[in-house]
Amino acid sequence: MEEQDKFCDYLSGVNPVWCPGCGYYGILGALVEAFVDLNLPSKELALISGIGCASRLPYFVKAYGFHSIHGRALPIAQGVKVANPNLTVVAVGGDGDGLAIGGGHFPHAARNNADLTYILFNNAIYGMTKGQFSPTTTLLSSTKTSPFGLTGDALNPSALAIVYGASFVARGFSVKKEQLKDLIMQGIRHPGFAFIEILSSCSSFNTTDMNVAHLLKAIDTVPADHDPEDPVAALRLAGNESKIHLGVLRRSPRPSLEDRFQEIQKKAQRGKSEGIENLVRQFA
Amino acid sequence: MMHDFTLRVAGESGEGVITVGETVARIAAREGLQLVTFRTFPAEIKGGACMMQLRLSEQKITYHGEKVDCLVALNQVALDENFPVLKEQGVLLCEAECDVPDDGLSATVYKVPFERIAVREIGSRISKNIVVLGVLAELLGIPKPRIEEFLAEKFAKKSEAILDHNMQALEKGICFARENFSKREGFGFPRGKPERHLLMTGNEAIALGSAAAGVKCFFGYPITPASEIMEWLAVHLPKLGGKVLQTEDEISAICAVAGASWAGEKSMTATSGPGVSLMSEALGLLSIAEIPAGIVDSQRGGPSTGLPTKTEQSDLMLAIHGSHGDAPRVVIAPTSVSECITMMGAAFYFAEKYQIPVIVLVDQALSARVETVNPRAVEEIPQSSRLRAQAPAEGNFARYKLANSPVSPAAIPGTDGCEHMVTGMEHDEFGNFACDDETHTAMTVKRFRKLEEIENDPLTQNLCETIGEGRADIGVVTWGSSAGPVEEAIQEARRLGISVRGLVPKILNPLPHAQMKKFFSEVSRVIVPELNFTGQLASQLRATYRVPTISLTKIKGVPLEPSEIVAKIIEAADGLQQRSARRYGRAG
Repeated sequence: MEEQDKFCDYLSGVNPVWCPGCGYYGILGALVEAFVDLNLPSKELALISGIGCASRLPYFVKAYGFHSIHGRALPIAQGVKVANPNLTVVAVGGDGDGLAIGGGHFPHAARNNADLTYILFNNAIYGMTKGQFSPTTTLLSSTKTSPFGLTGDALNPSALAIVYGASFVARGFSVKKEQLKDLIMQGIRHPGFAFIEILSSCSSFNTTDMNVAHLLKAIDTVPADHDPEDPVAALRLAGNESKIHLGVLRRSPRPSLEDRFQEIQKKAQRGKSEGIENLVRQFA
Repeated sequence: MMHDFTLRVAGESGEGVITVGETVARIAAREGLQLVTFRTFPAEIKGGACMMQLRLSEQKITYHGEKVDCLVALNQVALDENFPVLKEQGVLLCEAECDVPDDGLSATVYKVPFERIAVREIGSRISKNIVVLGVLAELLGIPKPRIEEFLAEKFAKKSEAILDHNMQALEKGICFARENFSKREGFGFPRGKPERHLLMTGNEAIALGSAAAGVKCFFGYPITPASEIMEWLAVHLPKLGGKVLQTEDEISAICAVAGASWAGEKSMTATSGPGVSLMSEALGLLSIAEIPAGIVDSQRGGPSTGLPTKTEQSDLMLAIHGSHGDAPRVVIAPTSVSECITMMGAAFYFAEKYQIPVIVLVDQALSARVETVNPRAVEEIPQSSRLRAQAPAEGNFARYKLANSPVSPAAIPGTDGCEHMVTGMEHDEFGNFACDDETHTAMTVKRFRKLEEIENDPLTQNLCETIGEGRADIGVVTWGSSAGPVEEAIQEARRLGISVRGLVPKILNPLPHAQMKKFFSEVSRVIVPELNFTGQLASQLRATYRVPTISLTKIKGVPLEPSEIVAKIIEAADGLQQRSARRYGRAG
């Protein structure tokens, strides 16, 4: 009972707008359970999203939420973290938001390694606009905008995160809630950019690519002897076409953006902090 | 001595033209003179023609001058290109081998073998420009110790040999002038007041003003002619505990500004027109989510990549309207380097006080020009902070409370009991999406009422400059860096006996209506000079005040010249006289 109270403390009271049977309910549950288990104060939680079904998530959680514009969750999340490093910053969004319109920001967020967690809900379809193909659609023989077949091949979000240099990359599945909660907790604890891809079905528009029954047969956990420090091994697992590996694919901590800013300020100040009066002097 | 003195140094990029100009400028500022400069940049990274013009005065000046008292030409091409700007009684200082055009001017010509002196007597070709400086020092009466002091500072990090070469070159230049030329009576530096001025570019002033206004986070993407703002802040903001991040594009920059500002820090970006085009969706987000932000647009010739290194004032419509939907924002436009400092203060004053994005419009000419600045400008920066919320006694925090004031108290992440949503969707008082017509209407009105409040803000009353008083035949309205030449043109037209006044709004959205309306009721004809093709301010004035306007537009990539404006004033005044003559004729 006490556990349930704690869970409810993180709910805003706004009811999710997702369709019945949507995998995102499971993700919301795992995310909130992770907050409960990490005992994160909601006032220090910043949830940032772009546009799409997944991006509606911040409305449903009691936290500081920012529902922004299509594809821009990562730059905004980075700005929030730069301004206030004490916040726990979590960016959420779908495959269209993060890999199509916002795809240009992903490598740079990974490269800068700001200490934030990026959760990509991968349902391989545009749900909010009612069924157009996304950058991860593979198996659907037709969608509203590809009635005679797809015009391109699918992206692999986890593989991209690894080659972009994300210091933490994990893959989960919306119906595997306990594992998902654990991966989210690891991601939030990771001191740097943590990327978590979550496979999830779209009950309205894509139960082909993300068919729960098929996926349950195709998934496998990351082998116990996998070394997440090894980028080539991580990429091999992420890119495996016969098995979908769930778990931590890559973990390789390195200085975060916040560490670098501290270093930069230290170098610039050389032991003494300056006032604006000193800066004026150079123009005299 | 003269009251007002204009010098132009012209040569090939790499000949040290800018060093000569900068040295004279710095010493003049230290001597308490006011100064405005102008320089051109070759499109190439290396080589190409370049020039720097400086105008020095005992009094406040706002324009770099049209004709010059003294022209220094380091080669034949520079001489031929720049000779037409030399005044009738001017002084030409040129390389000895140059052919001087014989066009009957009564200019005094001094020929000096700069290159030969540098190569033969110093053994260093690159010291040529310092020989020039020596000759100039003698002719203009610049005290030698002042130059030595400045050179010692400038070459402090270089080897002793380099400084030594330069000091020798200076001495050779002075001696050559002393031995060969007789100094012309009444020619040279004006006398300054015993007050040292600061000397900086518009971009440096914007950066300094931003730091003084309390900016803690800067996000940007390099672009001509705004990059120097980010470069300066990258060096200095960390000293004040601030952070500068070069992002992957302008969209990322403005979005990071949104995030950082929402998180509570004064945040900004600086770009040019192409960047603002990319940012326009996020400008709407800032507007609807009511997040303060500073956005500097140093305009260049457009559209698209346009004329990247040339000046233009063609982003006014973009700044005021550039977003889908009804998205209010504030637009302000400094007219001088000093104002680049104070207007950054004004930008953050409006942004924080009214929780709204503020665009500061400058242009390439203002960004790049070096000008004297009163050291007190930094202290005069207006300050304000965001209205902060307290946690509600019960229930959820209403971030967008509909109340008498359109400005709702804000809570930054980390505040206890104020968890809330901000969103780019239309939303209710709590930030939850709400797309019904009543909410959309009430919230749109709330957001636009801020502009009304800003129009009545005490600071806004100081953001409109009038030139002259009372009734006048001609009224000239202009904005941004065109204010300088307009001010000079008005003075000149008045000397010609024309009844003319000027008005320079420094806030362009909202316009300072009371002052604008009063002005329009007091003048018979309105001329609007600006650097764009379509007459963007003129359109805005016609739409807002239904006044007929006469546009004076120019898209040559360089500032307006006072003579161009004077010609338009004369034309309009003549037209007015003919009209009244016709009217009286009919009546008779």
